Amino acid sequence: MSGPASERSSSGMSGPAKPASPDRDPDPGPLARHILSLADSKRLLGIRYSDWLLGSPSIETGIAASSMAQDEWGHARLLYSMLREFGFDPFAVEHERPAARYYSACALDGEFEDWAALVAGVVVVDGALEVALESLGAGRYALARSRVPKMLAEEAHHRHFGAAWFERLGGAGGEAAERLREEAESMLPGTLAWLLPADDVYEALAAEGHVRPEAQVRRRYEEQVGAVLAAVGVRIEDVEPDRNGWDAERRRGPGAPAEEAVERARGDRNRALFVE
Amino acid sequence: MAELTAIQASQVSGGRDRWSEPLSEAPADGEAALTEALREVLDPELPVSLVDLGLVRGVEFDSGVARVALTFTATACPCMDFIKEDVRDRLGREPWVRSVEIVEVWDPPWTTESITERGRRELARFGVGA
Repeated sequence: MSGPASERSSSGMSGPAKPASPDRDPDPGPLARHILSLADSKRLLGIRYSDWLLGSPSIETGIAASSMAQDEWGHARLLYSMLREFGFDPFAVEHERPAARYYSACALDGEFEDWAALVAGVVVVDGALEVALESLGAGRYALARSRVPKMLAEEAHHRHFGAAWFERLGGAGGEAAERLREEAESMLPGTLAWLLPADDVYEALAAEGHVRPEAQVRRRYEEQVGAVLAAVGVRIEDVEPDRNGWDAERRRGPGAPAEEAVERARGDRNRALFVE
Repeated sequence: MAELTAIQASQVSGGRDRWSEPLSEAPADGEAALTEALREVLDPELPVSLVDLGLVRGVEFDSGVARVALTFTATACPCMDFIKEDVRDRLGREPWVRSVEIVEVWDPPWTTESITERGRRELARFGVGA
């Protein structure tokens, strides 16, 4: 029932044939683009968490990173599968695209350099994903409305984990706090652009009731992460989104995720062994 | 692309070593009979019924087709395929069931509140509080 063959055959569409994946469609529509952006970002974020399953400050916190990585991939799977409703093949979307066609947030293109970067990523990037997901789940799209609450329940654990570690490292002062501040400041402008692109695609989504207006989303993000970031002196209210080079189709800034990470995301080495 | 033929379920997966023999004739109430059968399907990680864990969200029976709405404890539950396989195998052994359809549902989200009292007692026997 859930094997790759049934995934492919169940994506059969009536009417004109569409490309297998929305990134190959000249106009997949704003909602499909948005869902792909969320799914790819979660897929990459899971990879970035998994980079630190070992080598984190303690075995226990590495296990937490493992759980978060699993959650992100679970969310990505549910999001990719929504694309079937738009006439696209979730299997092809997940397993057949090159890095240059990923829609993931720029902050996830490379590894989190150290644990401080991971903690900043949980707060800044995962926090943005949570707010974006919440916005989608409050919108008109029925499948999102039914699936997002479970994802948000799991995301709450990520938020608490990120806030606790941020407070711990930020409160330690010295190099730890400085690294946190550097990483948060580095990630914020691009992540804000991803969350608040201020482009026609987002405006269409908001006008159709699929997402909240950007002003509401920004306010929600500031509520969720502002106090956490303030621990190292970062005032989110003062940060402007960096929309230089914004690619409205791929819902991201310039560049692409590292090829090695995308190979892992696609499962290239185990392609012959897929069971789902 | 090569494709694995099937998941090789273990003999005890889902508690199948304790499953009842199939009913000899079609029951008057198919949905009730299906629910009773599902009570025998155990979670792969804890030997507690899927029904008592609150993972079975609905059962329908129509013209030989059993439809089961299932949810999971987590979006990345590593046992999804095992659970689906066990449900298909348990219901599929009933001769009056022609096919089994499983629908994944996520609304409302599963929480520990979904566990029945009997499920809590079973979990407690294994030292798991819920």
